[in-house]
Amino acid sequence: MYDVVIIGSGASGGAVAYTLCKAGYKVAVLEKGRLMKREEFTKDELAYCRRDLVTPNLFDEYHTIEEKVEGKWVATPTYESGWSFWNGNIVGGSSNFMSGMLHRLHPDDFRLKSKYGAIKGANVVDWPISYDELEPYYALAEELVGISGHYEPHKYEPKRSTPNFTQPPTKENAVVKLLDKSCQELGVKSLVTPRAVLSRDKGDRNACYYSNFCGSYGCSSGAKSSSREALLKPALATGNLTLLTNTYVKQLESDKDNVEYAVVVDTITGKEKRIEGKMFVVAAQAHESARLLLNSANKHHPDGLANSSGELGKNLIFSGGGSGQGELRKESLKEIKFEDLMTTGLFVNRSVLDWYFIDHWWDGKFKGGSVEFMFEHQNIITRARKNNYKDGQLVWGTELGERVLKRMNEQKSIRFEIFNDWLPNDDCFVSLDPTHKDKYGMPVGKLRLEGHPQDVKVGEYIAEKCEKILEEMGAENIYSSVSSAPPQNLVAGGCRFGNDPKTSVLNKYCQAHDVDNLFVADASFMPTGGSVAYTWTIYANALRVADHIVQRLQNRPI
Amino acid sequence: MKIKRRSFLILGSLLGLSPYLKAEEVSTFDQSFKKVEATIFAVQMHMFPEGSKLPSAKSMQVNTFLFETITHKSYDRDIRAFVLEGAEELLSREKGRFVTMTQLEKEKALRAYEATNYGSSWLERIMTLTMEGLFSAPIYGANKNEAGWKALNAYGGYPRPTTKYLGV
Repeated sequence: MYDVVIIGSGASGGAVAYTLCKAGYKVAVLEKGRLMKREEFTKDELAYCRRDLVTPNLFDEYHTIEEKVEGKWVATPTYESGWSFWNGNIVGGSSNFMSGMLHRLHPDDFRLKSKYGAIKGANVVDWPISYDELEPYYALAEELVGISGHYEPHKYEPKRSTPNFTQPPTKENAVVKLLDKSCQELGVKSLVTPRAVLSRDKGDRNACYYSNFCGSYGCSSGAKSSSREALLKPALATGNLTLLTNTYVKQLESDKDNVEYAVVVDTITGKEKRIEGKMFVVAAQAHESARLLLNSANKHHPDGLANSSGELGKNLIFSGGGSGQGELRKESLKEIKFEDLMTTGLFVNRSVLDWYFIDHWWDGKFKGGSVEFMFEHQNIITRARKNNYKDGQLVWGTELGERVLKRMNEQKSIRFEIFNDWLPNDDCFVSLDPTHKDKYGMPVGKLRLEGHPQDVKVGEYIAEKCEKILEEMGAENIYSSVSSAPPQNLVAGGCRFGNDPKTSVLNKYCQAHDVDNLFVADASFMPTGGSVAYTWTIYANALRVADHIVQRLQNRPI
Repeated sequence: MKIKRRSFLILGSLLGLSPYLKAEEVSTFDQSFKKVEATIFAVQMHMFPEGSKLPSAKSMQVNTFLFETITHKSYDRDIRAFVLEGAEELLSREKGRFVTMTQLEKEKALRAYEATNYGSSWLERIMTLTMEGLFSAPIYGANKNEAGWKALNAYGGYPRPTTKYLGV
């Protein structure tokens, strides 16, 4: 029997495993996918970006997505739509493939309701913990996993317990000179983006080598601060971690108060077995964690494990916002040399937090969001395929050659991404599909994914300001797109934490109210999402939860 | 929009629901593909002719790449069937003689096919499958000596793959 069994090896599973193994406990991490080693992470666009090789085949494992058609909810399987909600099912999970532009939440994100009041149609609540309680873990995560950056005071930059990042920022493309100047002209403060990529060697992880292909790819130097590189490898080195790959968890078996064992399937042999532990930590990514608990219903927990509140799977959240871009063209480029702009590999590394909260005499007072600047993804096939229509017809022949070459060599597209709150609401949740089952015979997650109208309003408000920055930079062909479509890689909620067992699934330590030895460590706990990517918060919170589990294991025999 | 992609692929077919979707044996597909492979290659050559700033379809074995790609298990089986059916449809529209047409006739035939939703999706798919070959890592066979990357002055990152599809 293990001390702790963790389901999922992504950011949160890795953080919990690390802490427990270092504390001397015997831990098993159950991972559905396989182990890929550092050297296997090549820059193979076809394999990593255009096929489902690190996520399940949608005919084997899928979700169903509910859409309102003529007033009724209709569920379509993702094997029909091709819209995958898997985000990296290998050891380390989707943290292998992140772009790693990370921020801490702001203290007001922990008390959104008190600060900004209720919003009609949105289930906004305050968190049961404050920023101050999480801050030491943000600091720990920053140092432990390796987040590079440079701190500059800003009214919406949360306070830090350490003066600055120990890893300086990654190297930057000359475009930051133009971007910073343009922001300055407009009275906007551009900040250096904290990035989960090492700028200097750290242990056996080598500094970034600026491959030009970072987001969506695994890192072959170990610079990217994935769960696999930063947490699971050192956890394995303690000798206390058993990493069980190709291990799919069907359900958790429990009595009234405790989980007894996990029922798992070896995905290669199909053989089923039990994994026993004193404590269980679910860390399968928000929508799948809720699904596993719903699939673990039994006579003691008829509506799903840890679901006496009826809140399990509810208030799933994503990230609101959208993106936009413009072309910096050779013939009209200002401030910097075109060849410097075209230098490959270096980061843009700029964020804007000026609109994180809006308090304006005319526009009003409301929660806004953050902005990241970057180059258009450098994938070659993707870029070559873009904009090849003219007058509604596909361009081919010699004209295609000229068009693609011009696009690739006479401009570089600069892009912004907006992150604003996805307001939790009654029409965004995961439940079990009543008919569809995956290849292991388990009901698949059914996702209803409606956004709140406020999300789009906020996104558009910020997009307009970002377009002005691109205009000031001299970019052409500027466009932006803000929609209520959820980004499937930025998912949280579904197991809200809170002090009241009647309205929340987990307590403030992310322990199930109903089941004593069960924790949920991934982003499921978040009642509101803040307006930044989740990963730093996931790392930090999982380290906090792990500390609590260690205390429990030390103080109390189970 | 995304939700409806696959049903469009299937229901949009003028030939009806594909028998290949259900075909278990690859050989059935292989045999049917043989009948249309010259047509598909002719379309690729028309889209990527010699004398362009991009490498030509003829010089880069994009036809072999296309077949290997759609028959690999990582490829979406519905789209695999669609690639075949769309070619059969073109063959049938042009009464079997697309391959032997002059350049002008081919252009006319493809533009007419493109005017249908189904034809336009299919041509987009062939374009994508050809570009995937020309601009993917050389290990996949159709970016010979990195000629596709050289033409674009854009190169894939390191490390480069030494096996196709992560060895899956």
